[in-house]
Amino acid sequence: MSFLVNCPNCGERNVYEFRFGGEIVRRPEPDDDSAVWMKYFYARRNAAGQQREWWYHSLGCRRWLVAERDTTTNAIASTGWPGEVQA
Amino acid sequence: MPIPSEQGRLPAAAHHLTDRDRPVVFEFNGREFQAYEGDTIASALYAAGVRIFSRSFKYHRSRGLLCVAGACPNCLMSVDGVPNVRACSTRVEEGMRVRHQNAWPSQERDFLSVLDRFGRLMPVGFYYKTFHTPKLFWKAARPIIRRVAGLGRVGQDPDPGPHHHEFRHTGVAVVGGGPAGMAAALAASAGARVVLIDDQPALGGSLRYDSRTSAGLPGMGEAPGPGSARNLAPEVEANDRIEVLSEATAFGLYEGRLLGITQGDSMIRLRAGRIVVATGSHETPLVFDRNDIPGVMLSTGLQRLINLYGVKPGTTAMVATTGDQGYYAALDLLQAGMRVAVLADSRPAFPDGLDAARELRNLGVLVLPSHTLARAEGVKKVVGGVVSKLQDGRATTEERQFDADVIATSGGFEPAASLLQQAGARLAYDESSGEARPSGLPEGVFAAGGAAGAHSLEEAILQGRLAGAQAASGSPGAQAAVVRAEHTPAPAQSRPPFQGLEGAKQIVCFCEDVTSKDIATAVDEGFRDIQILKRYSTVTMGPCQGKMCHRNFVDVAALHTGTSPADLGSTTARPPVQPISLGTLAGPAHVPIKRTPLDRRHRALGAEMMDSNMWQRPRLYGSVQDEAMAVRNAVGIIDVSTLGKLDVRGRDAPALLDRLYTHSFSTLRIGRVRYGVLCADNGTIMDDGTVTRLAEDRYFVTTSTASVEAIEEWFKWWMAGGDACAYVTNVTSGYAVINVAGPRARDTLSKLTDVDLSPRAFRYMRAREGSVAGVPALMLRIGFVGETGWELHFPAEYGEHVWDALMDAGGEFGISPFGTETQRVLRLEKMHIIPNQDTDMVTNPLDAGMKWVVRMDKDDFIGRGGLAAAMDRPARSLLVGFVMNDDTVPHDGDAVVSDMAPVGRVTSSRLSPTMGRGFGYCWVPAGLAEQGTTIHIRTGGVVSPAEVRTEPFYDPEGKRLRE
Repeated sequence: MSFLVNCPNCGERNVYEFRFGGEIVRRPEPDDDSAVWMKYFYARRNAAGQQREWWYHSLGCRRWLVAERDTTTNAIASTGWPGEVQA
Repeated sequence: MPIPSEQGRLPAAAHHLTDRDRPVVFEFNGREFQAYEGDTIASALYAAGVRIFSRSFKYHRSRGLLCVAGACPNCLMSVDGVPNVRACSTRVEEGMRVRHQNAWPSQERDFLSVLDRFGRLMPVGFYYKTFHTPKLFWKAARPIIRRVAGLGRVGQDPDPGPHHHEFRHTGVAVVGGGPAGMAAALAASAGARVVLIDDQPALGGSLRYDSRTSAGLPGMGEAPGPGSARNLAPEVEANDRIEVLSEATAFGLYEGRLLGITQGDSMIRLRAGRIVVATGSHETPLVFDRNDIPGVMLSTGLQRLINLYGVKPGTTAMVATTGDQGYYAALDLLQAGMRVAVLADSRPAFPDGLDAARELRNLGVLVLPSHTLARAEGVKKVVGGVVSKLQDGRATTEERQFDADVIATSGGFEPAASLLQQAGARLAYDESSGEARPSGLPEGVFAAGGAAGAHSLEEAILQGRLAGAQAASGSPGAQAAVVRAEHTPAPAQSRPPFQGLEGAKQIVCFCEDVTSKDIATAVDEGFRDIQILKRYSTVTMGPCQGKMCHRNFVDVAALHTGTSPADLGSTTARPPVQPISLGTLAGPAHVPIKRTPLDRRHRALGAEMMDSNMWQRPRLYGSVQDEAMAVRNAVGIIDVSTLGKLDVRGRDAPALLDRLYTHSFSTLRIGRVRYGVLCADNGTIMDDGTVTRLAEDRYFVTTSTASVEAIEEWFKWWMAGGDACAYVTNVTSGYAVINVAGPRARDTLSKLTDVDLSPRAFRYMRAREGSVAGVPALMLRIGFVGETGWELHFPAEYGEHVWDALMDAGGEFGISPFGTETQRVLRLEKMHIIPNQDTDMVTNPLDAGMKWVVRMDKDDFIGRGGLAAAMDRPARSLLVGFVMNDDTVPHDGDAVVSDMAPVGRVTSSRLSPTMGRGFGYCWVPAGLAEQGTTIHIRTGGVVSPAEVRTEPFYDPEGKRLRE
């Protein structure tokens, strides 16, 4: 693993400066069914291909960003701030 | 007297790497040898008459120099105690101690060569077929086999080091200092900074040993090879936008265009905007019977010996070739004063268009088109060979024998494309030319020269220029390799398909002693896929990683599977391209540590220090008993500066904390402290700590030492993308923290502050900002160890000053510093948990007996979903205290057993200084979690009874805390 991640604040940086935060999942509403909550806790798509995911620039600006990455090639199509890009 | 190497030398020439005026003496197998500066170990030994350089991996067959290019396994030796050093690419140094490997007593006379006669007993897949029954026999045999088979021995001494790691960046990286690489670097330097990585001591690549004339290139003149290099190399060296890394090997090309490079004891990680791979090609050995006898060498290997080191390879040579290269090599052999007995060319007709071929014929050399080598003769070295006439591509019985002490073979060239393959390219086999070429290069990676399949110097240089220019301009599009089609047509098929010859010892894989017959057997056994065949036969899996064997492996496999090399494909190339030592990969032994602001005081007191994450903390200053008694009966101080500290501010800070903690903090009044637990959304405990409200919009949060980074991240994650007005700052290292605890803590501290510390004025779980020993401090009245106490947070710069003041002030009360071990015992007596010690990944606060920290009556919070679900089902295990009924002190991790079956486990266990018994925390099934229940704990095989406690062992009502 040696690809680069384009931090919206710091620019292209070594992936080892970041912590991976997993694929982006929607948090259920409080009164959603417990099965929905269980799925949210433990089930992940684990996509082979494009995936929207969290990255934290722990050795840089210490901010969370959203990246779209191909999990089979590690090619990152885009990065952006959560809230500014649709999460 | 050192053994001289003079009799094996040619007259000195300017292009040689060796300096005949500078003799060097080194040791080989205990005897001194004389070499010249610039010699490699191999060139010096060869010149001194050594022909056997190693014994093969499995059969202990004699092996001599083959490639002289650092690719094959034949010259692996132990140098100054380092095993598996390539003698042909390691320069001799004065006093170097070189030893042979994998032979006893010597590589010349190896008793284990008897194994060669029993080759039939060790067929392909020998290990898989044999190593199962009878079990006992193989248990005994395995260590012997391990000693017999294999490579050099690793020394028992620590790695000598030092190894360095460097991290670097460049616009364009060019791998390979041959004509294509140099041309690429020069072209790229017009638009970018360039790093050129070359594994040789001098730039030039094949030009340095190739004495062909190259004509017709602008700026190249008509100088022979070494002359052309002299034109390009100084230009590269004079260019201040090109940095040359000499004797450096690029061993891996990773994602993000990262090159792994070794140079001496260093490993360099070079990140490049674009990469040009100009790594040249590997000459392929020919497959014939006994093709591994010392004296059978690659034609380029002989050219290297002659033209780089001025070594005369022998007296009489036979040359066998599948293309033009054999003719060039033959001319060099003649030039070196040798006789060429015959040149066998497997192509059907004499190459009339080739100058070198006409020249050879004019010089009276016997050239036999449509012939190939059938076998080599000799045991420890070549004494001759037999050529056979080819009919329809097959060897016939029409044979001729020749005497010779050197056999030069050339089976064509395969691109040295490992780096390209690692980057995602494929090695595609072209049926019409009989060659493989890389295709499908990823963006930003270019190929040029031999690595791209170039056949001529002109082509290589043009490709290099184009690749360099494209790399520097950043324009994507066509990769350099395509220029070949426009500029030079590929020569007619230079490599006829392998048809198979008679003979049992046709070595395909020199590393692992795999013969063409072994491959045929493996195919017969059903291994027909190239990748599976590789794993079963181990071909391409040895130290050469396929450099010498891949082409022949695919050809032989194609023949026996009845398919074409194109259909079979190729094996996967993985890093490293060349072996590198584990020490180089590991790099310098840097272990980052953090020291607290009080570190010097701890050391002056003779504290026993321990690692706590990256921190160094005092474990004990004296004994647990003494330190604990001081805290319980007088006063103690402990450095807790490592506590994680977060400053949380903003209008929405109260809402943020309510959302993240199971407890409620918007209701916390200013100046008050509350214990809080952070849960993951599934309700499991992540961390705990205190939260102090300093103002309406400001909180001071502490976390466990180990967790602060993760908790900072966690806070920010839940804020990410939202519009809440709150922010969190990690202020951990800004503050020194000292906890003053014990019945005399108030007496001690009140000597240093004006803040009223009386029980009514400064109650338990309250906070005040005030001055301590003249230093502004945040004082929290909390008590992890269960005594009256204050946690003092103040600027780190004053750490030692406040520590000294406290020690002075407490002197009259018997103050004692205490370490983390004592703290752990004292908190255990109070049943205060340590997250991740007493809890694990599935623990929720309910099971840990902390239902009181969970406020289900507030709005949604992180963990609510999981905790709600947990409340709906009965707990399976609960965390409870235990105290032993006998003298046993269990260990952390011991099992709680029921009828000898484990039903729970001890998470913390110590000897209680106040009770004089073993006690601690353990997980037990819910049915055993009642106060007073007898449970059993297995410690070191002995089961001892204990009693369950659900209330703190010490001061269960918390009177002392509140006093």
